[in-house]
Amino acid sequence: MSIDVENNNGVCRVVVKDEMTIYTAAAMKTDLMDQLTRCDELEISLQDVSEMDSAGLQLMLLLKSEEQKLKKELRFVKHSQAVIDVLEILDLVAHFGDPIVLPAGEAQ
Amino acid sequence: MAELITGYNIEYEETKESHDESNAQYLTFLIAGETFAVGILDVNEIIEVSEMTDVPMMPEFIRGVINLRGAVVPVIDLAARMERGRSELDKRSCIVLVETPLSDNQYQVVGMLVDSVNEIVEISQDHIQPAPAMGDGIDTRFIKAMGRVDELFFVLLDIENILSNEQITNLEQLKRMHQSSATTL
Amino acid sequence: MVDDMKLTFLQESEELLQQMEDALLAMEEAPDDEEHLNSVFRAMHTIKGAAGIFGYDFIVSFTHPVETVMDQVRSGNRSVDSDLVALLLECKDHTANLVQTVASDNEDNVPAELLENGCEILARLTGEGSENNSVKGATPSVAGASSPIEAEPQKATPNDNWVIALDFKQDALRNGLDPLSFIRYLQRLGEIVNIITFTHDMPAANEMDPETCYLSFRIALHSDSNKDEIESVFEFAVDDCDIRILPPHSKQITYLELLEDVEPESVQRLGDILVGIGAVTQQELEGALNEQEAIIDEAVANPEQKVKPLGEILVERNVVAKPVVEKALKKQEDNREKASRDAQYIRVDANRLGQLINLVGELVISNAAVKLMVDKYEIQEAQEVVAGVDNLVEDIRDHALQLRMVQIGDTFSRFRRVVRDVSKELNKDIKLVITGGEAELDKTVVEKINDPLTHLVRNSLDHGIESPEERLAKGKPAQGVLRLNALHDSGHIVIQIADDGAGLNVEKIRAKAEAIGLVKPDQVLSHRETLRLIFEPGLSTKTQASNLSGRGVGMDVVRRNIDALRGTVEVDSSVDKGTVVTIHLPLTLAIIDGFMVGVSGERYVIPLSMVEECVEIDNHQLDEQRSYVNLRGDVMPFLRLREFFDVPDDEVGDHSDRRESLVVVRFGRTKAGLVVDQLFGELQTVIKPLGKLFQGLKGISGATVLGSGDIALILDVQGVIGLASQRGGHKQGLVDHA
Repeated sequence: MSIDVENNNGVCRVVVKDEMTIYTAAAMKTDLMDQLTRCDELEISLQDVSEMDSAGLQLMLLLKSEEQKLKKELRFVKHSQAVIDVLEILDLVAHFGDPIVLPAGEAQ
Repeated sequence: MAELITGYNIEYEETKESHDESNAQYLTFLIAGETFAVGILDVNEIIEVSEMTDVPMMPEFIRGVINLRGAVVPVIDLAARMERGRSELDKRSCIVLVETPLSDNQYQVVGMLVDSVNEIVEISQDHIQPAPAMGDGIDTRFIKAMGRVDELFFVLLDIENILSNEQITNLEQLKRMHQSSATTL
Repeated sequence: MVDDMKLTFLQESEELLQQMEDALLAMEEAPDDEEHLNSVFRAMHTIKGAAGIFGYDFIVSFTHPVETVMDQVRSGNRSVDSDLVALLLECKDHTANLVQTVASDNEDNVPAELLENGCEILARLTGEGSENNSVKGATPSVAGASSPIEAEPQKATPNDNWVIALDFKQDALRNGLDPLSFIRYLQRLGEIVNIITFTHDMPAANEMDPETCYLSFRIALHSDSNKDEIESVFEFAVDDCDIRILPPHSKQITYLELLEDVEPESVQRLGDILVGIGAVTQQELEGALNEQEAIIDEAVANPEQKVKPLGEILVERNVVAKPVVEKALKKQEDNREKASRDAQYIRVDANRLGQLINLVGELVISNAAVKLMVDKYEIQEAQEVVAGVDNLVEDIRDHALQLRMVQIGDTFSRFRRVVRDVSKELNKDIKLVITGGEAELDKTVVEKINDPLTHLVRNSLDHGIESPEERLAKGKPAQGVLRLNALHDSGHIVIQIADDGAGLNVEKIRAKAEAIGLVKPDQVLSHRETLRLIFEPGLSTKTQASNLSGRGVGMDVVRRNIDALRGTVEVDSSVDKGTVVTIHLPLTLAIIDGFMVGVSGERYVIPLSMVEECVEIDNHQLDEQRSYVNLRGDVMPFLRLREFFDVPDDEVGDHSDRRESLVVVRFGRTKAGLVVDQLFGELQTVIKPLGKLFQGLKGISGATVLGSGDIALILDVQGVIGLASQRGGHKQGLVDHA
């Protein structure tokens, strides 16, 4: 299992424990979609995502669009630098609308 | 244009080499009572004096232009050129047509007005002497050399200098300046 | 903008605006639903981004503030009420209107009222919560570190960006490509001003295959690289990605300019032309050719199938803008036409043509001789025949001369390159405008005018037109204009070289002329006369010689060259307005229509094109003192040719009652009278050069042989007038009288 799940009153907190790449995408898609359908509110923590490629990004985009369809609440939190890099280069920060905490030292 | 080949072209080289360098022919003529000469090879032809058209604003020694078979050719009065006065035209007056080199390998035909043409003489190289340092009233630049036939000396004219554009242009400018100062009064 | 991509933008915008409306309507029910807020924000944000990529500034400037307001709402810094929702609905409608202008191809011409309307809406939107707004705008939100990271919009001019469309194919990821890496790499070539990510084809979650690529990107890139360099970034992606690269607007202009310069030497294929100027890469061309081939194959099987031309395919594939293809096609057509025209031509040795014209000249003279004979012996029977031959000869003359006539346009066009290169070298911005290129003149004249023309053009480029900074400082447009113009005027061709540059400094010219002793300090000169001094040897206004025009040849050489062609050159200039150099040249150096007059025994020919009229006059009509003649109230200067040329008088005695004729000649705007003894009338005049001996002779431009075998001199009217004014102060009016 590449994710840690903690369920609390319908609020799921998921910590992604692996890279989000083409190699992990298939398994991760199943796991994360399961969580999204299961709970009303899902918080996905990305601090341990050491690497993200286009497949990983697609996964984020998929979850975001499913959130709307399924009328759920989804938050990505604690973006790792790898994730921030991808969102920034594609100008997608606003699209997800999640507050991003910059790692210390880069706040300026 | 290709020619029909009729032989083997062996004699070609030999026939070319027949010109004798030591003796040269000269045409002698009279200007203001004196005899002058030019190399016969420089002379194109000799014609009678025909109708000359005056060209305004030119120095006196330019007598005008003539129609030489459709070409407009300037005529120079040699007497006037050598400051012997304007030559009077009579039955014996002739125009000697010569070719003068211009810059860039071009030639211009110019007529020289002379009082009369004498004869063609052959002078050996021994009888040609360099131009004297002092001439008898002739601009020494016009003298190419002195020639002698029997006891008669005459001046071989330097056509190039006589007709040099540079000098003519200078003279022409003088003439113009003279004219303009005259009319300004 | 290429239609296909524009269409994507329109569809996308429409969809987003619909979502925005739905969300706003839902917000009226549930104002705090975060999802609706996001939806509205996203619509504005995405439309802003897309508009930025396509360079629709007016949409960006409206949607950006709306997006900012939505961001405030989203972060809880502004509350949602029914007023705000109503206002946002107005914003949505206005955005739809703006998008509509794009749909109707009016993006370059947005109605002013629409823009005003937008300002008004924005004022209400931001003004309402202005207090709140300003606080939030100044300090990056309370949570400081948690403020959203937003790509700074519109760092560079949006119009000047490359637009890159990347549509990855489904197998891209499986084939080991990571689209992100290409975009990262692209950053090395320039700044990504804007980027939009699409996942159009992504299916519902249960069908979505995480290993399939659903990504498309639209990227606005600000870069100085050329198309080849940009394309090379995606070299490894070509098989798994549809790549379309649209050059920035400025590049389009460059392509169009480059097309202008395509050498007409050979008829090139369209693709080669476009690759040649860099508008299309070899890769793109091959792709389009493959597509065309496929269509052709289809067409073989199915005759109904229409085969598309390559240009259309290229435009459809978005690799090149339509105007560029159209221009290239036109250029190709021109070249082809030119080539086919060339094919109808026979190359003729110029010498043979010269011989023909000489012979025609002789024919004209001989014909005149025949006419003279027929008249002299009054051979009535021959008269009609002679008249017929005369007409034929005239036709032959005109046609023979026409053989050597060429348009000056080709000579002018050569300067395009010069202007381009020189302005680059000098960091100037100069446009060349050519008019009258169809004017014809004798090839022998054209050949000789090239050097003086080059010199004058370079002078204008180098000394005339200022640097953009200087021009702006003077309140002139940064781009200077150099004009080359040609027209026909009274048997002459007039060539003008005009610039809107600094103009000539009259004081400097005067000072220099005095310094080298050309004019005396107390001499009074008119503006024109002072300007004319620049054609004197030793006068160059620039003290520092440049490598362009200061190569030891001055304007005096220009004038000498033009004099040799029996032409004239005039200059007019005004400080900071510009300089106009006007050259008058005879159309041909061979045969003209002339008008013969007599002075004593001599005959002179005046070019007929310069003769206005001839009148008989009495001596007392002439004001001898002031050299003016009053002709029906028209006062003009005159000169008596006999006196002027110093022709000896052939009549003796009293001349006071002699009948004389006045020939009114015109040159440009100048009119003058020439007093002569006799008028002989018109004749075809074969111009015979006077030869080197008479080089520099003013007032006479050549000679001609008459039917009688006599020679008549041809008057150089302008030269005569010029000389007359030089000679006497009281005749000054001859030139300045206009």
